[in-house]
Amino acid sequence: MNYMPGTASLIEDIDKKHLVLLRDGRTLIGFLRSIDQFANLVLHQTVERIHVGKKYGDIPRGIFVVRGENVVLLGEIDLEKESDTPLQQVSIEEILEEQRVEQQTRLEAERLKVQALKDRGLSIPRADTLDEY
Amino acid sequence: SLEDCPLDEDEDTFQGLGEEDEEIDQFNDDTFGSGAIDDDWQEAHERLAELEEKPPVAAGEQAGNGERDEMDLLGDHEENLAERLSKMVIENELEDPAIMRAVQTRPVLQPQPGSLNSSIWDGSEVLRRIRGPLLAQETPAVSVLEYALPQRAPQGPEDERDLSERALPRRSTSPVIGSPPVRAVPIGTPPKQVAVPNFSQQILCPKPVHVRPPMPPRYPAPYGERMSPDQLCRVPNSSLLGPPFPANTPPVLSPLQRAQLLGGAQLQPGRMSPSQFARVPGFVGSPLAAVNPKLLQGRVGQMLPPAPGFRAFFGAPPPATPPPQPHPPGPGPHLQTLRSQAPMFRADTTHLHPQHRRLLHQRQLQNRNQHRNLNGAGERGSHRSSHQDHLRKDPYANLMLQREKDWVSKIQMMQLQSTDPYLDDFYYQNYFEKLEKLSAAEEMQGDGPKKERTKLITPQVAKLEHAYKPVQFEGSLGKLTVSSVNNPRKMIDAVVTSRGEDDETKEKQVRDKRRKTLVIIEKTYSLLLDVEDYERRYLLSLEEERPALVDERKHKICGMYDNLRGKLPGRDRPSDEHFVQIMCIRKGKRMVARVLPFLSTEQAADILMATARNLPLLIKKDAQDEVLPCLLSPFSVLLYHLPSVTVTSLLQQLMNLPQSAAAPAPCNPHLTTVLQNKFGLSLLLTLLSRGEDLQRLEPAAEPAQSDQWTEVMFMATRELLRIPQAALAKPISAPANLVSLFSRYVDQQKLTLLETKLQLVQGIR
Repeated sequence: MNYMPGTASLIEDIDKKHLVLLRDGRTLIGFLRSIDQFANLVLHQTVERIHVGKKYGDIPRGIFVVRGENVVLLGEIDLEKESDTPLQQVSIEEILEEQRVEQQTRLEAERLKVQALKDRGLSIPRADTLDEY
Repeated sequence: SLEDCPLDEDEDTFQGLGEEDEEIDQFNDDTFGSGAIDDDWQEAHERLAELEEKPPVAAGEQAGNGERDEMDLLGDHEENLAERLSKMVIENELEDPAIMRAVQTRPVLQPQPGSLNSSIWDGSEVLRRIRGPLLAQETPAVSVLEYALPQRAPQGPEDERDLSERALPRRSTSPVIGSPPVRAVPIGTPPKQVAVPNFSQQILCPKPVHVRPPMPPRYPAPYGERMSPDQLCRVPNSSLLGPPFPANTPPVLSPLQRAQLLGGAQLQPGRMSPSQFARVPGFVGSPLAAVNPKLLQGRVGQMLPPAPGFRAFFGAPPPATPPPQPHPPGPGPHLQTLRSQAPMFRADTTHLHPQHRRLLHQRQLQNRNQHRNLNGAGERGSHRSSHQDHLRKDPYANLMLQREKDWVSKIQMMQLQSTDPYLDDFYYQNYFEKLEKLSAAEEMQGDGPKKERTKLITPQVAKLEHAYKPVQFEGSLGKLTVSSVNNPRKMIDAVVTSRGEDDETKEKQVRDKRRKTLVIIEKTYSLLLDVEDYERRYLLSLEEERPALVDERKHKICGMYDNLRGKLPGRDRPSDEHFVQIMCIRKGKRMVARVLPFLSTEQAADILMATARNLPLLIKKDAQDEVLPCLLSPFSVLLYHLPSVTVTSLLQQLMNLPQSAAAPAPCNPHLTTVLQNKFGLSLLLTLLSRGEDLQRLEPAAEPAQSDQWTEVMFMATRELLRIPQAALAKPISAPANLVSLFSRYVDQQKLTLLETKLQLVQGIR
């Protein structure tokens, strides 16, 4: 049965493995079990994948219920091609460590930049302190 | 008796409720609402009083008060609950047709103390509570439903069947398959709080009711706890397969009733999902009577995990009529039927372990199902097989039932309903039209079999005007400040103050003027879009409507012209100022280019004249936008319709030629500007070309005209020769007949000069 041809509907994606990118930047991979009209998702056997450079690590998370408005995008994972990746899987501890290091360097760079701007009398407000509207 | 009530706190609460303000009692259903009118509770009490006299139970706490009963019914953990409840018998005077038919289709159950009777779970009092609001058809004092539904006249109980026909017009409900919970309250509305006792009396139960966890199941799970929904779907002959409502089901509750019921059920801590919904009185085909949804709620958790796969409708073979159940029914409706499947298995396998037996049948079914598309996957052939393999091995597949998928699909389709698809989804419509044309063209060539392209057919719904009436209470002072999506609340009381003319500075005036012009442009643009759309509407309309459409169109075109030129009735010729203002704005220029084809010749000529007159200014303002060239094309088209006189005067205007053949001014900045601008030069050349064509084509025209033209041409050539060879623009198109034109009026030497200057000769350019 072809559900709603010509439209974007998640019904045909059910029970398939998906990669979901959330608004907070997390990447979840899991089997899409259920949806509703708001595109709230129920993900099964979910794994949170953290990418740092060419490495990635998977944290098993179980069952996720994601509110639809927090999804940026999602796409089906081709099970045959899934393992065909140049990325290297590492352990959770390692990837978390890598992530921490990356976060630190980024914050440091940001700090330097802000300092430099401040020295010149300029200030760029941080995104989280801006009003959304 | 009251003293024997084991739950003191409930007693206090209950008495407390009774002793509270008069106000609460005023909205008491029993006093004012359906309870009073239908007189149910009195009969109920009488009956219960009779029940009290019946022997068995020692700790019989049959309270004479039906409401108490309800509390005890649900509030008691103790074992004797069963015994107490077993005294509650299904009454034949229940008016709900769904329940009635269920009652009639099966043998009357005798209450058996100590065994779980289905009748326990549908204690008449409880059912009546639910049924009461369902059947109370009088217009309630408070009705949440009304603000979603169009107004209906109140109806008596006998009209309840009518309700299923008078469903909400937009929602589709399927009486056979069973629809998802239809909400008269729009989806997304937050649930009503229990703490508002006087709200929706007709809908909620009159008192908040505890839901305690029900008794531990006294029945053995017919299947191992670990059966996955996928496996459940493959169980042979189970009532899981096939439609949940077998053929003899009465029509399910109308959306109204269902919504009310759902509203009632919302009191409970859980929520009803579509899969659970079917168990509500509608699921009557099973040997069990209607099950109390509240009690079922809790029990679900103890049923097979996960949420029971109620049916795998898709592709499964329809079962035979549900097997008659002679044995005493147990609590769970489908579990019951499942258990009853035991006798259906083959005789020679009876010695097998039940699990083993089931597995054998599963394997049979699997082989059968291999050819069927179990999951509704798309047309991808090779993927499908691997996908199906995966599905087969996936024990968690089909968690989302087919019905639920249909439900979501229905909602999505509802969102696509539109009264004017071209307005709502223009690009979609155009895209698919194009595709169809392409495929039609291909078919014409190929002449092969027509490929059916699945097309999404969106229902076109007549627009219903729902005047939203906010919720009101009778007899209350003031209005509720409930705001929802249909009734948004004003956030700020903004007051519009118009400023006086005096205190405005020049800048502000300019800004206001510009804003006014922008507004005029927008209005004219709307008119323009409508006018451009008329062709399509004309094709779609009926014969009678067409003259009206044509009139409308004319009217709009006049409106556009008025907007462009500025409506100043006093003068015979409106000033150009208004027009120039519009033309200074980029959007205005583009709009004029689009409007021109619709105007009449005189109107368009007028516009052209005004443009020519003010061209230097426009050129100056256009320096940044460079949008003027877009006007060239409509102007050219127009020129070919203009008579010679107009062309002549246009030329005069454009070149700023003096009216008389007096000595020209030392310099002609107007002309210079025009020539230095791409648009200006192109317009000039086109104009000249047209004039030349006219002269040639109509040699016998009025001599006055042609004289005038000659005169003008002389002046024109003089001016052109005088103009210093500044950086002339490159025209968009150089008409071919200019050389012959000029050759008439100037001698060879000057002709050469002109040619060089205007770069008329091909080689130079």
